[in-house]
Amino acid sequence: MLKNYFKIAFRNLLKNKVYSFINISGLAIGMAATMLISLWIYDELSYDSYFKEKATIAQVFQHESANNNVGTGPAIPRPLEFAMREEFGDNFKHLIMSSWNFTRYISYGDKNINVSGNYMQEGAVEMLELNIIKGDKESLKGANSILLSEETAKTLFGSEDPIGKMVKINNVNPAKVTAVYEDLSKNNSFNGLKYLMPWKFYVASEEWVKNAEDSWGNNSFQMFAQINDNTTMEAVTAKILDVKKRNAPDEAEFNPQIFLFPMKDWYLRSDWENGVQTGGRIENVWLFGIIGVFVLLLACINFINLSTARSEKRATEVGIRKSIGSQRGQLVFQFLTESFLIVLLAFVVAIGIVLLSLNGFNNLASKEILFPWSNSLFWLSTLLFIVVTAILAGSYPALYLSSFNPVAVLKGTFKAGRYASLPRKVLVVAQFTISVALIIGTLVVMNQIQFSKDRPTGYDKNGLVQIPVMSSEFIGKQDIMREQFIASGGAIHMTAMSSPTTEVWSNRGGYTWEGKPEGFQEDLAFTSVHYDFVKTLGLKLIDGRGFSREFATDSNAVILNKTAVKYMGIQDPIGKYIRGSSPNSTMIPLKIIGVIDDMVVQSPYSPVKQAMYVFEQYGNISYYNLRLNPKNSVSKNLELVESTFQTNFPNLPFDYQFVDEEYGKKFRSEERVASLARVFTALAIFISCLGLFGLASFVAEQRTKEIGVRKVLGASISQLWLLLSKDFITLVVLALVIASPLAYYVMSGWLQKFPYRTSVGWDVFLIACLGALIITLITVSFQAIKAASANPVKSLRTE
Amino acid sequence: MIQITDLEKFYKTEEVQTIALNKLSFGVKEGEFVAIMGPSGCGKSTLLNILGLLDDPDGGSFMFNGEEVAGYNERKRSELRKHNIGFVFQSFNLIDELTVFENVELPLIYTGVKPAERKKKVEEVLEKMQIMHRRNHFPQQLSGGQQQRVAVARAVVNNPKLILADEPTGNLDSVNGNEVMDLLIDLNEAGTTIIMVTHSEHDAKYSHRIIRMLDGQKVTENILA
Repeated sequence: MLKNYFKIAFRNLLKNKVYSFINISGLAIGMAATMLISLWIYDELSYDSYFKEKATIAQVFQHESANNNVGTGPAIPRPLEFAMREEFGDNFKHLIMSSWNFTRYISYGDKNINVSGNYMQEGAVEMLELNIIKGDKESLKGANSILLSEETAKTLFGSEDPIGKMVKINNVNPAKVTAVYEDLSKNNSFNGLKYLMPWKFYVASEEWVKNAEDSWGNNSFQMFAQINDNTTMEAVTAKILDVKKRNAPDEAEFNPQIFLFPMKDWYLRSDWENGVQTGGRIENVWLFGIIGVFVLLLACINFINLSTARSEKRATEVGIRKSIGSQRGQLVFQFLTESFLIVLLAFVVAIGIVLLSLNGFNNLASKEILFPWSNSLFWLSTLLFIVVTAILAGSYPALYLSSFNPVAVLKGTFKAGRYASLPRKVLVVAQFTISVALIIGTLVVMNQIQFSKDRPTGYDKNGLVQIPVMSSEFIGKQDIMREQFIASGGAIHMTAMSSPTTEVWSNRGGYTWEGKPEGFQEDLAFTSVHYDFVKTLGLKLIDGRGFSREFATDSNAVILNKTAVKYMGIQDPIGKYIRGSSPNSTMIPLKIIGVIDDMVVQSPYSPVKQAMYVFEQYGNISYYNLRLNPKNSVSKNLELVESTFQTNFPNLPFDYQFVDEEYGKKFRSEERVASLARVFTALAIFISCLGLFGLASFVAEQRTKEIGVRKVLGASISQLWLLLSKDFITLVVLALVIASPLAYYVMSGWLQKFPYRTSVGWDVFLIACLGALIITLITVSFQAIKAASANPVKSLRTE
Repeated sequence: MIQITDLEKFYKTEEVQTIALNKLSFGVKEGEFVAIMGPSGCGKSTLLNILGLLDDPDGGSFMFNGEEVAGYNERKRSELRKHNIGFVFQSFNLIDELTVFENVELPLIYTGVKPAERKKKVEEVLEKMQIMHRRNHFPQQLSGGQQQRVAVARAVVNNPKLILADEPTGNLDSVNGNEVMDLLIDLNEAGTTIIMVTHSEHDAKYSHRIIRMLDGQKVTENILA
């Protein structure tokens, strides 16, 4: 029986090559798109799945409120560690203090590299399940040891055995390589861990870290935790919630709440808004999941439409089989077998498409997805996928075809009823509704990105280069370096900053000023800068002046941004002072000397944060910022700058970043979403048009006789073209009417998450509508004109 | 074998209701060859479809082999049909995508006959219909007469007790038509009951009895043999 079904199915496929091609290629493209999306989703969901103990690992987070707004983040103070160990130590397998992910110069002989890593407490190797390839697992116990990732070790030592070798950290502190661990994969939260050093080393080598030991107000550290098997994240969080408030009465006004942020949420649900977890990347997972389902649905609709449209051709077979004794159930089964076969063929093609496009897709999505040949779960879900697709695509045609009355069919009086094409029309409208909504959505995403890119940043990003200078060797050298860089001709201005131009590394409070409202809890972005800050960055001074060598007192001066002046409520700020708020503060009052226009430093989608820029008098800075010489080419400038740098710091690697590129990185995630959305929208439109093309050719074929008669009676080709195209255009217009408000509603909602946002303009709808109509016309016209220009004698003879 | 009493069938379109069968009654004995005649639209084909259990009557009784089948559901009807009834149509109604052999084989597949036995039976009947040499051809490659011989082969391959023929010679020239009629006579003589709808007086003369219909009713009945 099954053999008979397959035989019929195959022969039908071969007989109707155009339909088979449309069906199989449409389904294949749809399935390939869905498979790529599924692989992407799987990759997103399996982030951090490297950790077998993922469910028990967490990071210690903190909520703090100021001015009725709750901020949430991983920065915690050092004494929290001691309180946690003492009071709740028995809840944890590991409690591990950690530094941030720091870039350090590591040198061995004349090799000097610049890599990122952390200082962590003992137990990190176990908690992070690091695979030690060589050396001692207990390395973090030593005070001056360093563990290197395999890649780092290779770069530094080549084929030499790294174990036991002495390296220098930042050209100052010696450390002994005691272990080498396997590199962590890209989809791992600790992917940036290229070296690992003992926490003790950090405390010993940095004075301020040592001093932070009992400072509850200095939130400059991270803590990771692994809970015991017999407890839960929630239970532990309930215990530790007010540990800081109890131990640090001075901080109580900020209502600090300590909690465990489970590893399973790190990557996908990392957004917080006013103390509430609001999502994160998981939204993209949902978004693409929905797009994947839609694309597959579109392909299934093609299959449904083409099968039912051609039903009259299959009707006789149904009638015969019924008269011979086939039951309806058997016919349903037969047609489902047929769709299963087609889906199976499409799947084979889809696998080919996926294999061919995986590389490009990885580039687009910035992933390293491999085709899961050996993953049994993948093949199992694939089987399910094929069956579901076959049922989705095949069940309506199967039920429809098997319902034919054999009497009418065999008598030749069978004519599909007046409303037989209605479901097809509904499905075409559904297809184009989805496609048009996707077009509109993609356009809005692209508009939002462009809108934010066009946002004035308040500084001139072009020709601005920043050089990381995070070794103690650089301290106090900025004036000499400025002279030399400018003398080399590679730069015209230089300033120095404590953080990159496009980031805020420090936020501070604890100030007071004239007119400060009672109970106001200020929080300002804090950056130390040097001379020529305004000039080098091309900032716009609104009031006052920049830091100047002519005023010795400028070492205790501050520049505010426009938002800070408004935020603090200072009238006529120039000449006023910002002081330490606590009565026994030793802080030297800062004199406001200038106000600059807002600089977009953090998110290009958010309002600019109130910021203060103070003069860094000890030269303890992290970056040199250079305004390159506009008279030279960029490469020439970099050459001059590099040689000047190397003359002064022969032992340090020269590294630099273009500020405009760094700023551009802020758009990466949205741009990735946009480019993926573009691809899948294009596929959706293509699949819909493929179906439309098939339907148009079917209608043209069905109306051959009518066209012939009309032609004989004097209809012109253009009249016939209009006649045949009109129906489809009506459907697409209907789809536009449905899709537009739907897309408007969804996309307005999406835009809400960006404080700095564009609006959903009418131009978006115009482009989407015109685009859809033009594509429809082109698709349909091919068949319409072909039918209309055929010789009527021929078409009349076909009956 | 068949006894219908006061059989009724209506067709409804949006505005009018047409009576296709109007309290029709007659019987057919086993081994009989009955021809049904009448002008177009008199209800012959409707009757044949009901007799073939393809269609359901709206009223009256239909006894098949002593069993009331008028109220049978689709499943029971199809069960009865595939074991007892063979069809021959005016337009042959072969499945274009299947070869001669496969077309004839189809009823055996639905009745669950084993492959080896199917082959034997199909070859037997193809031999009998003198169409064996065309077994691997597709219907479009055959002449009308050959196609109808395949259709008859398919109708009889299951050894049905009853063959329903709906103008079996309607699409054939007289030579091919006579050949098909001879096949039906042979089958009838071998014991198969045949009910044939026809417009052709010539064909009707092959039968034992002619029932003439008009407007869904029986008007006359001529016994020929």
